[in-house]
Amino acid sequence: MAISAMHDPDAGDVALAGQGDRAAAARLIARHGPRLHALARRMLGRPAEAEDVVQEVFLKLWTHAGRWRPGTAKFETWLYRVALNQCYDRLRKRRHEPLEAAMAVPDGAPPPDAGLQAAHISAAVARALADLPERQRAALLLCHFQGCGNQQAAEMMGLSVEALESLLARGRRGLKVRLAHLKESLGEG
Amino acid sequence: MSDEEEFTDRVLGRVLAHLPAAPAPPGFEARLLAAYDAFQARRHAGFFGALRVAAEAVWPGAPLWAPLSAFACALVLGAGIGAAMPSAATQHTDFSLEKPATFTLALADQQ
Repeated sequence: MAISAMHDPDAGDVALAGQGDRAAAARLIARHGPRLHALARRMLGRPAEAEDVVQEVFLKLWTHAGRWRPGTAKFETWLYRVALNQCYDRLRKRRHEPLEAAMAVPDGAPPPDAGLQAAHISAAVARALADLPERQRAALLLCHFQGCGNQQAAEMMGLSVEALESLLARGRRGLKVRLAHLKESLGEG
Repeated sequence: MSDEEEFTDRVLGRVLAHLPAAPAPPGFEARLLAAYDAFQARRHAGFFGALRVAAEAVWPGAPLWAPLSAFACALVLGAGIGAAMPSAATQHTDFSLEKPATFTLALADQQ
């Protein structure tokens, strides 16, 4: 399906940024940078690595911005797909690292005033999500955190909607198994 | 509704709400913008940068090889045509070293 520049709010800014317009680049960064960072951080569990991923994604964007032609895919879809591929690459490289370092979830620290139980749940949820296979994790993050619909998330992941739904179902099942011990804390009867 | 769907509908949102926030670090956007500035500076630096700017003016949005190839093709084509078709305008010279040139000075006429 062709997507015209009118339906893609980023198309104009991408073209301008490609021509060296700094303000357009700043708008793209403000619109997508923090969301991409959150996705990468939850995918990788390491803030510094997440920032590297976003830097690489934007560098790729600046390199290709001048040649961007709206019509085949929404810009945001392309951007997220590049970010996810970067995350997958890094996770693949991590398989050779020691398990503790690979599965570290340093972002589990709750705010100082939060109770111990909240901190415990928070860390457990982060660990459970990090434990999921990467594609199930990506599907859950896109649909539940990035506010993507199934169709858009499927496009971002390069999958059919059915395949995405299957990943979501398996991801939910995986979370349920991993968080079974928190059932009472989460208010499950 | 299956057990799994029940979990999904009632608890998944709450479960994921417990996931720690992942705010961007301070200065994150400024660093991205600085990387953009560095990219643009690199792009316009040196001979290739100037070439790229010229190419961008001729053929906006195209990769560098496209205008360069078009220019090279035009050059080869022009040179080929120029070599194959000699100019129709031939030069006629009507002087000879064996005959002395005759001319008068304009100054002598005035006198």
